[in-house]
Amino acid sequence: MSLAQLDISTEYIGEIVESSTSQFTSESRELNGAPPFGSFVKTLGALPVYGLVFNVCTHSIEPNRRATAYGLTEQELREEQPQIFELLKTEFEAVIIGYGDDRGPQQVLPPQPPGIHSFVCPCTESEIKALTNSGDFLRSILCGNRLPADDLIIASVRNAWAARALDMPYLVGIGKDLCRLIRDDYDRLSSIMRRISQ
Amino acid sequence: MNDLWNNLNGSPTIQDGGEIGVVTQGSLTEGVEMKLNPYRSVEDVKAGKFVVIDGYKNQFFSMITDLSLDATNPEILLYPPREGDQLLHSVLNGSSTYVTVALRPMLMLEQGEEIVDEPRPVKTIPSHFSKVVEAEEEDVSRVFGSEEKDDRFFNMGTPLDMDTPVCINLNRFVERSNGIFGKTGTGKSFLTRLVLCGLIKNKKAVNLIFDMHNEYGFRAMKEGGQGNSFVKGLKQLFGNQVALFSLDPESSRQRGIQPDHEVYITYDQVAVEDVIALQDELQLNPTASESAYLVYAMYKDRWLRQLLSIDGPDVEQFADDIGANKSSLSALHRKLKRLETFPFMVNSLNGADAVDTMMDYIDRGIHIVLEFGRQTGMLAYLLVANILSRRIHEQYVTKSEKFYASQNPEDQPRHLVITIEEAHKFLNPATARQTIFGTIAREMRKYYVSLLVVDQRPSGIDEEVLSQLGTKITALLNDEKDIQGVLTGVSNASGLRSVLASLDSKQQALVFGHAVPMPVVIKTRDYDEIFYKAMGDLSDEEKMEKAEAASAAIFGD
Repeated sequence: MSLAQLDISTEYIGEIVESSTSQFTSESRELNGAPPFGSFVKTLGALPVYGLVFNVCTHSIEPNRRATAYGLTEQELREEQPQIFELLKTEFEAVIIGYGDDRGPQQVLPPQPPGIHSFVCPCTESEIKALTNSGDFLRSILCGNRLPADDLIIASVRNAWAARALDMPYLVGIGKDLCRLIRDDYDRLSSIMRRISQ
Repeated sequence: MNDLWNNLNGSPTIQDGGEIGVVTQGSLTEGVEMKLNPYRSVEDVKAGKFVVIDGYKNQFFSMITDLSLDATNPEILLYPPREGDQLLHSVLNGSSTYVTVALRPMLMLEQGEEIVDEPRPVKTIPSHFSKVVEAEEEDVSRVFGSEEKDDRFFNMGTPLDMDTPVCINLNRFVERSNGIFGKTGTGKSFLTRLVLCGLIKNKKAVNLIFDMHNEYGFRAMKEGGQGNSFVKGLKQLFGNQVALFSLDPESSRQRGIQPDHEVYITYDQVAVEDVIALQDELQLNPTASESAYLVYAMYKDRWLRQLLSIDGPDVEQFADDIGANKSSLSALHRKLKRLETFPFMVNSLNGADAVDTMMDYIDRGIHIVLEFGRQTGMLAYLLVANILSRRIHEQYVTKSEKFYASQNPEDQPRHLVITIEEAHKFLNPATARQTIFGTIAREMRKYYVSLLVVDQRPSGIDEEVLSQLGTKITALLNDEKDIQGVLTGVSNASGLRSVLASLDSKQQALVFGHAVPMPVVIKTRDYDEIFYKAMGDLSDEEKMEKAEAASAAIFGD
């Protein structure tokens, strides 16, 4: 499917460079232009795959070279050494929390990982609502490997809550699901809930 | 924002279809437990409330007996959420901290089934996660019947937080002796008056009421009332259907009441049993009854008159003559002398015997209220109630035996209900086996006489009698022994115990036993103009209109 057909070519924010069933890595379209930590993203294509951004990094495009400190502000650097920005790239990693079929978003892993070079764009509000209408996405976060689980829960729940215009009963419902998922770990629950509602 | 949190914690605006919770565990013997719906506030759920468990095949009509706060994690209890942390509070509510409600299924009906006659006891329990809902109006009338259906049902009040009448089945009520209990000031007299009105209006039994405090016959004081603080008595409500007897006609007249009859008792009408019943009040020795029987053996009916006619010093000689113990007989003599102070005790009657007159009224279906006037001492009450009841009971035994022999429906005696107050004085373990009231309570309906026992100290009543009481209507009781006493003879009493102790001190009562299919806490019916009207009493204007209509019918316009 070409970009022209999708008609959202201007909205994509990244392109997949590494993909597996549970996670994918995308290169950001613009340097430092990755979606925020904890935001919901999707791949473009016939079977969109939904993910939750859990890591963002910016580094040199050469694997063996590192950026060097110049002691200048970004503004000064852009004027004096504009080429160095071409040598950097931003990548973001997302944990897969579902995929979409003709019935809409499903909260299960996709049958196939998203294709390399697929474009990635932010989810719409209605998609966020569909993916977070139950606490199942929290389970994906808690079960994932090497994820900053608590902070990812906080960020993603804040996004889901914002998509519902800060609806209190929703937050309470998610809190109850979380309470069950973390097996009554009261300290953890109170810390997470406190930080969500800050 | 506050409204928002209120909505989250127990808001009626959240649509839950009336569901209070779901059944989580339980047993047939211990009752079932329900987890409260987190959207319900625990403070809205009260002990004694009438709820329905919607099982798969059956509906279980149950009563809330206990409530408890639980937490899955003890750490929460050590470090409770900070004050103002409403979010955490709401999150924990219903998940880590929850409310468990103990329910006691009292009655089981198949979905859609009506109670025909005998209610079915609970033989099983609802399955896991059965929904518990608040009882609806139709559930109440399905279980307790309604006055429109049948004249055996009589409206006693409404369940807590509901407006549908709870009825007692009067046919079943009169089949046994019954009890009305409650601490002083909790409305025992009102409950009693209510029940008596039901019996009189629906013509289920003839009543004989020993009215110690003059509160049933003619107007009575209403506690805590303002302005118009008198309520109507039975005579005012039912007119000719009620006859007023008085032991103290002077007092009645002073209160502006003209009694239908004055009651006098002759010494010859006092039997030895009547004196034994006064054992506690007169502080008689155990040997007193033996001495009394010795006098009786010699002089038969005249024994008391004979004994009292002897002056002090001659008693010892008299004891020698009849072979009684001197000191015992003189003690008996000394103590019985007190009876001579009662104005209603006479040597011979001028008019008809009170018991004969009473029997005549009873045969005609007229109810009797015996006022004690100023004779409010326990001794007078015990003596008179014993003598009259014993003699009426004797006549009833004769009548019933005649009926059993002839089997002629015309000979069937009318059912008699005798109301006694301060019942623990008549029915305490020491005297219950000997007094007539103990006999009536145990014999039950065999001889068509039953008791309505009104008391504030049920623990003082003999256990055997208590366990035989059919229906018990109980206002608030605090004393543990009293609560235990009332619940004697009730299976699975533990749940009712907490309900009983948590009743309001006014206008609330727990009704359980023979006349209701299941125990229920009621807010008792108001004893007011609406009630008077329902009993057939007319207001002054209506009386005038009726009189005018009657006179027009007789004399023309």
